[in-house]
Amino acid sequence: MDLAAQLKLQAWLDGELPEAEARAVADWVAREPEASALAEELRQTRRALAGFEADLRLPESREFFWSKIEREIARRAAPAPASAPRGAAILAGLRRFLIPATAAALLVLAGAVLIRPGGAPTRGGGAEVEMALADAGAFTYCDYSAGTTLVWFSYPADN
Amino acid sequence: MIVAPWVWVSLALALLASAGFGAPPADMKLQAYLLWGTNDRNPPADRNYQPVNPDIRQKLKSLPLKWAHWYEVKRVDFQVAPGASREVTLSDKCQVKLRQLASAEVEVLLIGQGKEVMKRRQALPKGDLLVLGGNSPNATAWLVVLKRNE
Repeated sequence: MDLAAQLKLQAWLDGELPEAEARAVADWVAREPEASALAEELRQTRRALAGFEADLRLPESREFFWSKIEREIARRAAPAPASAPRGAAILAGLRRFLIPATAAALLVLAGAVLIRPGGAPTRGGGAEVEMALADAGAFTYCDYSAGTTLVWFSYPADN
Repeated sequence: MIVAPWVWVSLALALLASAGFGAPPADMKLQAYLLWGTNDRNPPADRNYQPVNPDIRQKLKSLPLKWAHWYEVKRVDFQVAPGASREVTLSDKCQVKLRQLASAEVEVLLIGQGKEVMKRRQALPKGDLLVLGGNSPNATAWLVVLKRNE
């Protein structure tokens, strides 16, 4: 039995395989004595280890954990913003126009935000992605750039 | 050039109107989806599940979910008036109750098997999704997706 087959067998025992693959592996284990023996050994190992495992849990799932790392890598790998243009003289010339225009835009923006009943829906923190524990069995993942909020329940669904 | 005072007053009123001053809050139009996720290429043969909308699928891709294929089990279009609430049944055991709050937020209550599973308040701007989900048997997943259209 090669390493790939052994890993697939382990994934089957951990309940990580899709239904079709899980059925195929179950048939294979039923047919092959070598696979059956390995499966039994892994089950015994898991039972033996279960009593010695410390009751430690990450406050987030594997997917959330790796997503954080992936996003941080992508953020660091992003190219640095271009340096300021050399035409400082041009910018200085525009400053006479930009300052009053910026002031007017800020006034309009403040009016739009402060006067609207209930205010615009705000997104706190300014971070692009935010995660929080909603309760002991669920956590929340907010991707503001995509406009998506995910609440993931770690306990099994009954629907 | 001298501008008459009434012109300035009109401009100020137009600015206030454009900022939404006095505009009554409108009904929210939403869609609720019950989705089923799997890594199998095909849905179960005995179920008439349809692949999820491309726009929903694209948004789900931005989430850290390990399932590649999402199927629509049920979809309900509904709307909620300001201050009112509306309960939507997505399956025999799953309902969602949504209330539009005065602060442009929504309060969402997820009900499973007649029991309150989760209650959450948040802003839900147009086009945004609120996704509730969890694991299902056989390495699959379920999602309840709320999308605000207007």
